[in-house]
Parts: sequence; C-alpha cells; structure tokens
Amino acid sequence: MSTVDLINVRKSYGSVEVLHGISLHIADGEFVALVGPSGCGKSTLLRMIAGLEDVTSGEIMIGDRVVNDVAPKDRDIAMVFQNYALYPHMNVRDNMGFALKQRRVPRAEIEARVLNAGRILGLEALLDRKPRALSGGQRQRVAMGRAIVRDPNVFLFDEPLSNLDAKLRVQMRSEIKELHQRLGTTTIYVTHDQVEAMTLADRVVVMNGGVVEQEGPPLELYDRPRTAFVAAFIGSPPMNFLGGTMVDRSVLELKDGTRLQLPAPDPQNRSRVTIGVRPEHFVLASDGWPATVSIVEPTGSETQITARLGGHLIRILVRGRTDAKPGDSIRLTVPADLMHMFDSASAPEVAATEDA
Amino acid sequence: MVQVAVQPERQARRKLGGRHVRIVAGVAVSLLFLFPVFWMVMTSFKQQVDIFTTPPKLFFTPTFSTYAEYLQRADIVRRLINTVIVAVGAGVLSIIVGAMSGYALARIKLRGAHTFGLLILLSRGVPPIALAVPMFLVARKMGLADQHITLILAYCTFLIPYVMWLMRSFFVSLPRELEESAMIDGCSRYGAFFKIIVPISMPGLLSTLIFSMILAWEELLFALVLTNRFASTMPVAIAGIAGDTVNGANWAALTAVGTITVIPVVIFALLVQKWLIQGLADGATKG
Repeated sequence: MSTVDLINVRKSYGSVEVLHGISLHIADGEFVALVGPSGCGKSTLLRMIAGLEDVTSGEIMIGDRVVNDVAPKDRDIAMVFQNYALYPHMNVRDNMGFALKQRRVPRAEIEARVLNAGRILGLEALLDRKPRALSGGQRQRVAMGRAIVRDPNVFLFDEPLSNLDAKLRVQMRSEIKELHQRLGTTTIYVTHDQVEAMTLADRVVVMNGGVVEQEGPPLELYDRPRTAFVAAFIGSPPMNFLGGTMVDRSVLELKDGTRLQLPAPDPQNRSRVTIGVRPEHFVLASDGWPATVSIVEPTGSETQITARLGGHLIRILVRGRTDAKPGDSIRLTVPADLMHMFDSASAPEVAATEDA
Repeated sequence: MVQVAVQPERQARRKLGGRHVRIVAGVAVSLLFLFPVFWMVMTSFKQQVDIFTTPPKLFFTPTFSTYAEYLQRADIVRRLINTVIVAVGAGVLSIIVGAMSGYALARIKLRGAHTFGLLILLSRGVPPIALAVPMFLVARKMGLADQHITLILAYCTFLIPYVMWLMRSFFVSLPRELEESAMIDGCSRYGAFFKIIVPISMPGLLSTLIFSMILAWEELLFALVLTNRFASTMPVAIAGIAGDTVNGANWAALTAVGTITVIPVVIFALLVQKWLIQGLADGATKG
C-alpha cells in the first residue's frame, strides 16, 4: 500500500494541452474516484499514473518515489480496464497468475494466491475456463482477480463497470466497495458515472476540461458544490438552475419577468445570479414560487414532477405520493440552506435547462 | 450478435436460395481453377503418342515412365530439396522480420514510421525484372551467387512488405489494452509482444507464413537469374524443360515435373488448411 501524489501534472499532445496542472494527494488506503464528462482528461490522468502515457511536466509520486520515468511494470500497480483485457489464450488461472509468473514467484505460491483470489471473487469453479467461455460479469471478476493476486501498492480502475448491464453494475459496485474495505489498498477509480463515484469513493475528484473543478468527500460535493458545473454533475436527477437579474438583494427576476422571492439574500450582492435547487429540495407549499405541473412520474417510493416555472422546465422530487396532476398550479418553497447561488457567467451548462 | 427474428420463413427461403447460388458458383469457380491442373496431371501419365492425338484422349493406358525417369535424376531431387530450403527459409525469415516491423507500425509512435512503411510497400511496385539483374551483380560481387541464402534474401524483398502490411492490419485490430495490461503485469514491450500478442496472433501469423512459403515455392524469375546449378529450384527445372525444344516440346516431362512441384504444396495446404481457414476468418476479429 502506498500514497500517490500528483504535483502540477500536465499533459500535452503536440501543441494541445489536455491536462492543465493537476495536483492531488491520495492517502494510503484511500479510495478516490476521478469523475467527469468524457474528454475531461480523467482517463489520461489514470494512464499517466499507470505509466501508459508520458508526463509532459510535473511529477507523479507513488510512495516517496517519483515514477515519471519508471516503466509500468516497475510501478507496482494493478489496473482493471474497461474491456477487461483478459489474455484470450490463457485460462482464468493463468490470467490471474500471469503477473506473479513474470515476477518469478514460486509456483506453489502463485497457485495459493490465485486460489485465494478465486475464492474471494467466487471464481473457483471457473479457473480452467478460457475468457471467451465467461459471461461479462465473470470476465469483470477475473480482471479484478488479476489485480488482487498481485497485492499491489495501488489499484487503478478505468471505467470497469461500463460494459455491464445496469443490474450487474450495481452488484459489482458493491463488490468493489467490499473488496476495498477488506483489502484496504489505495485505489484510484475513473468513471463518468457520478453515482458510482459517490457510492464508492472516500473522496471524489470532479474534473472538467483538464482541470480539477472540486474535490472532497461525496456528500460535501453534494451539499456544497463550489461551481455550477459540479452542482450540475453531482446528484441525480440533476440540479435545477434558474438564471436571471437581481432586482433586489433577495428578489430574482427571470427572463420572462417572473419575480422569485429568494429565501436568502445574495451575500455578494451580484446583479446577475443563477440559483440552483436540487429536485429533492423543493417543498410543495401553500405559498411560494408559482409553477404549473406538466408531467407526473410516480415510482412508488417517490414521485417526480416536471413543472414549468417562469419559462423554465424544472424537476421536483417528492417523497411518497402526491395528488398533483398535469395542468395543476402548485407553489414551491426552498429552505434557505438548500439553495445554491452561482455567478451566471460561470454557469454555461445552465443554458441546457432554460427555455425547455 | 443480436438478430431480430423477423419473418423466419422468408429468411429461410432466402437462405436456401443463397445456398444454391453459392454451390453453383463454387463448383464453377473450382472447375475453372482445377481444369488446368487436371489436364496437367492427366498429360503427365500419357505416353508421347497419346499426348498428340486429336481429339485428346480421356482414356488411355497410364504410364509412370516419365515420373520414374525424372525422379531418378539427381538434379531434380536436388532442386526439390533446394525449393524446400528456400521456401521455408524465406517464409520463416519474412514472417519474423515482417511481423515485428508490422507490430512496430501498428503500435509504436515513431516519427515518419507510416511514410517509411508506405515506402517499403511501394518498393513492391518496382518490376522484379528490374531488380533481378542488379541483385545478381551484387550477389556475384559478394560471392553469394548460386547460394540458398541469396535466394532467401531476394524473396524476402517482396515477402517482407507483404507480411508487414498484412500483420500490421491484424495487430491494429487487437485491443491495445492487452499489451498495456501485460506491461503493467511485468512485461517489457518485447515480453508483451512475444508472450501475449504472438500467441493470440498465431492463426494470422501461420496463414501469412503459409502464403509466403507458397509464393517463394513457385517463384521463377529470381531463381532463374540468381541461381545456376547448386541452389536452383523446381520452377527453374520446369522452365528448362519448357525451353528445351530440340525435339519438340516434351509435354510429358513438363507436366510430370510440374506435378512433382505442385504435390508438396497440395499436401502442405491440406495439412494446414484448418489454420489457413481459421486464420483468414479470424483476421478481423479481436483475440
């Protein structure tokens, strides 16, 4: 086990810089998820930690050793790839033992460690099968088995669950979490799925456009997103954004002229503000912001309402059931501590929910 | 692959129709290709008088005398051995060099590698006849005229570009993560190539090797120019017989020696056909 430190790491392809100085400290035994939209550089960063991509500038340290120029095989890391990358000509046993064989571990010990990993992952009965005779979930397990027999300093996961169906993904997610709790190996996990990142990681690093937008424990990102990007990215269904002009420190005028009385004044007294409210934080009340219900989607445990508020379509999530029907007028309030405020200028993604 | 089962009846009928067409086309193409071979083999068992009858006789008393005569001739036996040495040597050398350079072209980022690869491919555009004479002069100067190695190297000049580009496209189709995973598991680039990529690519490598060997087996021009007695091959023997027309064309000899040349290839192809077909079909799929 080991710490991982990134110090102002940059990556360029030719004249195009894709990572703009990433610094990150990952503690021994920590589970860190790198999450972001495709093209944000998260996979590139992981591949740089693995040694599969060169570092343009900055330093990558595993433990107290700078590994910029260390070959992947000498970094003592294990990586699980999205397509598993199992060796098709070897059976499960040989796939899992391959790395140990390369390190000239005695045969008896390889056998013992493979059996042990097989037991942990429930693969004992499949050890003599070739990868093509395995289902997707089993292949995924073998790929993890290949990583854990190594007992490496660091586990690297590159979107390991993306090729599985939804049900299996949830199951494997729990298994990965359990595995980490059991082995306690430092883990860096790349995903574009914020739910995966939130549920698995001790700490989530949200990346966008080659920079770290925000990092912190999952609930901190959920509760206190620093930018509109993080606010929009974390949480499902996503946060609602309403942008407009402040006519008073606590009154927001939307584009169509609707005025909303905010539960709290803007502490910075800006003229243009975008407020964010998570669907689950709206409260149906007798008084408050006026909205018109357009769609009601009950799932039993909760009900999702899509409503129109001053030219915006907003999503509201209420626990349990509701009498609201399409066309109904409703009133909404938001507790002061659950409303987020962002600079309108820094919230380009917000446009997506406007004028829908 | 997921296939939606729409109109199974119509699909079945279409399949059946396609099957007939395929059978007829297959038979027609096979006849077209096999008829000259059949004619050659038949002629090789005829006596001189039967060969020149018009219309040609399909039924005659076969004779093995031509085979007996030529298989006892030391030069024919030596040429057969030479052909094996040269074909295997050229095939193996070109697959080793070609596969490794094909892998480099497929995976390793080198400035100008693609241009270099294209240039190698373009070198095949030069007519072999233009190269044969300079090659002969170089070989003679180096004291390599009429040697097996000379012919092997000469064949590699056209086999390596072919192997290289064929294997390049094969390697490109393999997922990159296989080598990356091997490299994380403790292999160097070479280790990943030999322990992971080569075993996975075996069908492709073998079918390419077989084609290369067949090309070298039947090659005439370089063999004619670069060898004389010691290292000369079967096609040269056939050309010699064809050119010896003092008493008119010796069709029996020509076809018998032709048959002797073809038989090892046929036996070889039958032995490896499982690999050949699998290799051709596997080429595009992932390992």
